[in-house]
Amino acid sequence: MALRFIGTHARRATRGADALGMTSGLRRRLLVMLITPLILLALVNAWFDYRSADNVAAQQDQRLLALVPLLADSVIGEGANPGDAPILLLAPAVEEFIKGSDHAYAIADADGKALRGDPWLAALPPTTTEPEFHSEENLGVTWRIVRQRQQTVLGEVTVSLADGSDPRQQWARSILIKVLLPNLVLVAAAAFAVRWAVERALKPLLDLREAVERRSPRDLTAIDAGASPEEVRPLVNSLNRLFGLVNAQAESQRRFIADAAHQLRTPLAGLQAQVEAWAQAANAASPGDGTVRLPTEQVNKLRGATRRTSQLANQLLALSRADARTMQAQPMQRVDLKDLCEAMLELHLDAATAKRIDLGLDAQPAQVMGHEWLLRELLGNLVDNAVKYTPQGGTVTIRCGHREGRAFVEVEDDGPGVAPAERARVLARFYRVKGTQGEGNGLGLAIAEEIAQAHHGHLEMQPGADGRGLKVSLAFAG
Amino acid sequence: MRLLLVEDDVMVASGIKLGLSDAGYAVDWVGSGERAEEVLRTETFDAAIIDIGLPHMDGLELTRRLRRAEIASHAMPVLILTARDALHDRVQGLDLGADDYMIKPFELPELLARLRALLRRSQAATTAVLSFGPIELDTANRRATAHHGPQSTAIELGPREWTVMEYLLINAPKPASKDKLLQALTGWDKEITPNAVEVYISRLRGKLEPHGVALRSIRGFGYRLELSEPHA
Repeated sequence: MALRFIGTHARRATRGADALGMTSGLRRRLLVMLITPLILLALVNAWFDYRSADNVAAQQDQRLLALVPLLADSVIGEGANPGDAPILLLAPAVEEFIKGSDHAYAIADADGKALRGDPWLAALPPTTTEPEFHSEENLGVTWRIVRQRQQTVLGEVTVSLADGSDPRQQWARSILIKVLLPNLVLVAAAAFAVRWAVERALKPLLDLREAVERRSPRDLTAIDAGASPEEVRPLVNSLNRLFGLVNAQAESQRRFIADAAHQLRTPLAGLQAQVEAWAQAANAASPGDGTVRLPTEQVNKLRGATRRTSQLANQLLALSRADARTMQAQPMQRVDLKDLCEAMLELHLDAATAKRIDLGLDAQPAQVMGHEWLLRELLGNLVDNAVKYTPQGGTVTIRCGHREGRAFVEVEDDGPGVAPAERARVLARFYRVKGTQGEGNGLGLAIAEEIAQAHHGHLEMQPGADGRGLKVSLAFAG
Repeated sequence: MRLLLVEDDVMVASGIKLGLSDAGYAVDWVGSGERAEEVLRTETFDAAIIDIGLPHMDGLELTRRLRRAEIASHAMPVLILTARDALHDRVQGLDLGADDYMIKPFELPELLARLRALLRRSQAATTAVLSFGPIELDTANRRATAHHGPQSTAIELGPREWTVMEYLLINAPKPASKDKLLQALTGWDKEITPNAVEVYISRLRGKLEPHGVALRSIRGFGYRLELSEPHA
């Protein structure tokens, strides 16, 4: 019962500790872990002692019982005169016994009248010849009394012996003083010791926490591991590793933004230059009709530059959205690859037709778990690349299905292809193979690769059929 | 064709208006949703192009109101323009009753193409005539004609050829899937095979070619109607 109480108290304590902080939680846990066994030990101790109190009581009874026949034998004869008490010759043991102020004896006749000894102890004979034990209170003292019918030279009498020393009570008192009290003191001392020890031991952790909290959100420099105590060092090292990763990521983002801004400047610069020139010419023209004549070629070039800038902006957005980390937050859904391929075909058919490219499909039913709009972007980029870089009259095929038990999607063309040495680099952002003609920002494949990774795969590049052209595929994890 | 353009950005609006006017549309331009509502109560248009990012009442709200029969006709196609291409925005727009969406910035040819597709869809819904280039299919009277200027020539089509032609026209200018064609034809013939479809296609091809319409095979997918390049 006591244990249950401790348990609930401890549980309540730990719940409260969560609100208070780590030290309270740890402290309480340690306290509970130390004090519970201590209390248990104290209780076990007390229980054993209580048992021995029983023994002592039993011993007391035995002693009294042993004295009964001795007392009976002490009756040696009748008194000198009738009505006198019988003559007693006490055995040494009995004499010794009754010397104590808390001991008493009585010898009573069949009517319960005391013949010798203390009258209050005299009583009617027991119904059997077996000894009877009981405890009685008299004059503020608890007496242990044994009574038995005994045969003496004068006939049958009732012998009673009483012991008022109450060893049980003495034992209880001795337990309290010798056992429980020291245990309690021990428990209290342990509690204080634990409190103090925990404070001392956790101080480095608390210091660490303060040190980390004091930092500004931008400060991701490493914490000095040498200044922290041994036990905390692994934690500090992990924290430093984390800071390192976050720093690296922040750095790479900074670089990316700088790259992107730089990339945007190029077409914008071209745009601006053209428009500036036209504006200047327009404003300088002597009072005309408020219009400007522009060479068609220039206007078309301008349009091209504008489109490229727009495309870059869209791609940058797609790239940031394809970030694998953001994707983990969103659940994947069932995507029908065949539908996707058909949609891509429709989308790019006109562009392909304009270059007399044979754009075709080789689609088997296939479904995967993924992010549809990301896969749409990926496939769109691959088909766009294929159509853009395959010369007039070429062939581009969009393919999907199952290969070696895994769903896949791929785009194959018979254009110039990508040399093995370039294949890894071509997936990098803003990279364009030297000498590539046509408009492009070098982001299409980088985005596609990011999306592939967000789907736990990566783009594979191989030569197309007959070793010509390029085949880019993505196999989905089984 | 009369169009309503609802766009608050002056540069974008003037660009679109110019481009659409050049393509032969009559364009009325308003700069806010409230103004658009007013205009739609009294005037009719063949289609509306609505920018989502409007001040005060946004384009989505306007679309929602449009679709409640109070203003404009239910059947008027709506194309929404949005600078935000988050999936959520597109879905919301389409759910509210827009027929198509375009992401800004866009290229004019694409806007024109989508507009054409929207208009032909709404036409097909209201009239029984499907057309592509010079070819016209009068589904009510079961007549196929080719128009060249003032001249009209009738085209003879067998029942299955008619079904194939109809299906191709409905999808034009997008390609039509062979699978779906097969399905459309199984109404006639439980035993229709892909090879049989190809026979009809090639017969059709022969009948359309003289009128400047090509029936191109799209490898692995199906077929598409295209205007033949003028012979040099």
